Amino acid sequence: MPRGENQPKAGPITSEYASDPDMSELVDLFVTELPARLAAIRSAHDAGNGGAFARLVHQLKSAGSGYGFPGIAERAAAVEDGLRSGGLASVQRQVSELLELCARASTGR
Amino acid sequence: MNATTLHPFEDSQPTVLLIDDSVDVHRLLKARLRYEDLKLAGASNGKEGLEQARTASPAIVLLDLDMPDMDGFEVLRRLKDDPATLDIPVIVLSGLQSAQDKVTAFDLGAVDYITKPFNLTELRVRVRSALRLHRLVQMLAQRAQIDGLTGLWNRAHFNKRWTDEVSACTRHHRPLSLALIDLDHFKTINDTYGHPAGDAVLQGLSRVLQRECRQEDVGCRYGGEEFTLIMPDTTPTDAAGVCERILAALASISWPRHPERAVTASIGLAGPDVTADLSADQWLDEADRALYAAKQSGRNRVVTRLIGQVTPMAKAG
Repeated sequence: MPRGENQPKAGPITSEYASDPDMSELVDLFVTELPARLAAIRSAHDAGNGGAFARLVHQLKSAGSGYGFPGIAERAAAVEDGLRSGGLASVQRQVSELLELCARASTGR
Repeated sequence: MNATTLHPFEDSQPTVLLIDDSVDVHRLLKARLRYEDLKLAGASNGKEGLEQARTASPAIVLLDLDMPDMDGFEVLRRLKDDPATLDIPVIVLSGLQSAQDKVTAFDLGAVDYITKPFNLTELRVRVRSALRLHRLVQMLAQRAQIDGLTGLWNRAHFNKRWTDEVSACTRHHRPLSLALIDLDHFKTINDTYGHPAGDAVLQGLSRVLQRECRQEDVGCRYGGEEFTLIMPDTTPTDAAGVCERILAALASISWPRHPERAVTASIGLAGPDVTADLSADQWLDEADRALYAAKQSGRNRVVTRLIGQVTPMAKAG
């Protein structure tokens, strides 16, 4: 996968729970850890490790929704759909869109 | 809690066990359930979850289906196959959304099914609902094991508890004693003063048991005028001391319906000085023999039967 595809091309996205005092700390943690997740997803994809890739994307889908980033959850779901129908090689575009959106995630502070 | 008596529902802060391989789900639930009156325990895989379900006695289990190694269906199957975890309500949390997955989960014994990504507020109210149901079921189960007249545990509870205690005693090489307590000439109290007087005597003895027993002792009405007292971690010598206190307390009661007639009891006590390979039934038989000996030797006394020998540590009242 070409590097740099996940550079932000639009403004930051923030969590629906950014102002929720019970959640703000967790949202910050999610955003902080997001680059490492993306690197792992990219690495699994580039290595052709379909099992690890599917699991990481699945976890990101669940996390995106849980931490108040429904757009990330939707993009991750699109990757999962593509993976099911066409396999690892067919989801390059969806992965790029997912990584690009994730790169825009911000704590909002 | 005094194990002898009916106590208020004790599981006031129930444990919710989350079995999920996603660290995010653990973090999110911890945050979202922070203000609920519960303890949250976590396991990151099926094997660990099964172990915790056995040891932590959770009120409910939240179970992910899509996990590596052992998936949630297998965990659910094993939870429902194990008598120790069979009754724990399981709420499935899953990204699997097909009707067949839901049908399978319910067929295997799940009480609820929440699809991921889930709404945390909805999850919270579903957890509350499952906990309410769990409390009601526990209350009903507890009430079914209480003797209505005396408030002590009944025979059904004794049968299960005694088997568990003998098993634990054997496994952990701990002392254990069992007393069978039988009111002397109870029939004549009923015949002479009427059944209300007899009932008052039964209630009086149960109050003595509650007062004189230690926190960990388990008093039960075995049937009629016969009671049992399980004394965990207690040697027969120490148990005999408890039984003597019970007899003394009973004999000192002045009964309003028959102040001229004292009430006494005989006690058969059985327990080994060292751990013996004895079944719960055999042990009960030993206590019954000791009770018979107490009756035969004059009543109002304790006879202790050490497993393997008879030592009538009898004391005339």
